[in-house]
Amino acid sequence: MQAFDQIQELWQKHDVAVNVSADEMLQQAKKEVNGLKFKSALNIIGMLASFIAIAALLIFFHFESWTTYVGISIFLIAILSSTIVLYRDHRLISNKDFTVHPKEYLKNLKAYQVNRYKIYNSLFWVYTFAISLGIVFYFIEIFSYLSMFQKAFFAIFTLVWMVFCSTILRKAVIKREKERIALLIEKLERISSQIS
Amino acid sequence: MEQKDKLFKEIFDSNSKKIFHLCYGYTGDTDAANDLLQETFLKVWQNLDKFRNKSLISTWIYRIAVNTCLTYLRSEKRQAKDELTDNIIENKIEEFSEKNEQVALLYKCISKLEENDRLIITMVLDELPYHEIADISGISEGNLRVKIHRIKQKLTELYNQYASV
Repeated sequence: MQAFDQIQELWQKHDVAVNVSADEMLQQAKKEVNGLKFKSALNIIGMLASFIAIAALLIFFHFESWTTYVGISIFLIAILSSTIVLYRDHRLISNKDFTVHPKEYLKNLKAYQVNRYKIYNSLFWVYTFAISLGIVFYFIEIFSYLSMFQKAFFAIFTLVWMVFCSTILRKAVIKREKERIALLIEKLERISSQIS
Repeated sequence: MEQKDKLFKEIFDSNSKKIFHLCYGYTGDTDAANDLLQETFLKVWQNLDKFRNKSLISTWIYRIAVNTCLTYLRSEKRQAKDELTDNIIENKIEEFSEKNEQVALLYKCISKLEENDRLIITMVLDELPYHEIADISGISEGNLRVKIHRIKQKLTELYNQYASV
């Protein structure tokens, strides 16, 4: 038979090791948030790289038809506008440190979530329409240099790729990002709701 | 900012072990205890500027930790995922047994208590003054003494019951 004192002694003798330092702890907490920020930044960098690559066509190549220039310009406008929208959203999650301003960060994260839905829904179709229009104009001249087989290949490849991006890929990206942001919001809400 | 960092590190170093012990006693699981410790100190970091020295800082941190522990397992999702502390303890007991059978048994018995009782008893086991426990748990000191007496009895009974099996 053990008395409570002996149980207490047993508890106090049991040494527990805290495997995390104050620095590591804060870093861990920032990691998830930074992951989202990093992905958003990567998205913007990717768009800018596409912009530069397409703009390089205008600088380094000479095209005969005005339709090609219109096509490339539509691409550039669509990419630049989307990049601006992405950058505005990126600022929402990057201009507040969530460990310093938790409430403001949470508010911005929710706004970011809503904006992402808009991008993947209405804005996505505007972007797809613009890119499709750009492709049509661009290929008018380019197709004249290609054989029938190449024409068919590029036309089918472009069509399949756009259908793939608009359906399977788009749905998968929406699902993954929705879960990720929702989980982060849930966690931050749980943390914030217990103090104020 | 640097001053806040320095203060936070001091607070973390002097309180983290006790808070980890509390979280560990509540969950019986190292990973879960680490998560709870992290959440607790994150809240401490975020709210350090609001702390007005009305109570001891350790009392304030304990209160945050207790809220964190209670919210943690009450979350429906987590309950579904972890199937409550009992099962965690049952699963962990084999890992413990070779190292320290008695400690494993103690954690098992603590896990059999009600959620609030579990938190109160871990604070009692860590020898926190009664007035601090009352402050943290929001129970009057008179009621708390009665409650603690009952929890002590229950825990001792459970421990002896399991030890004799």
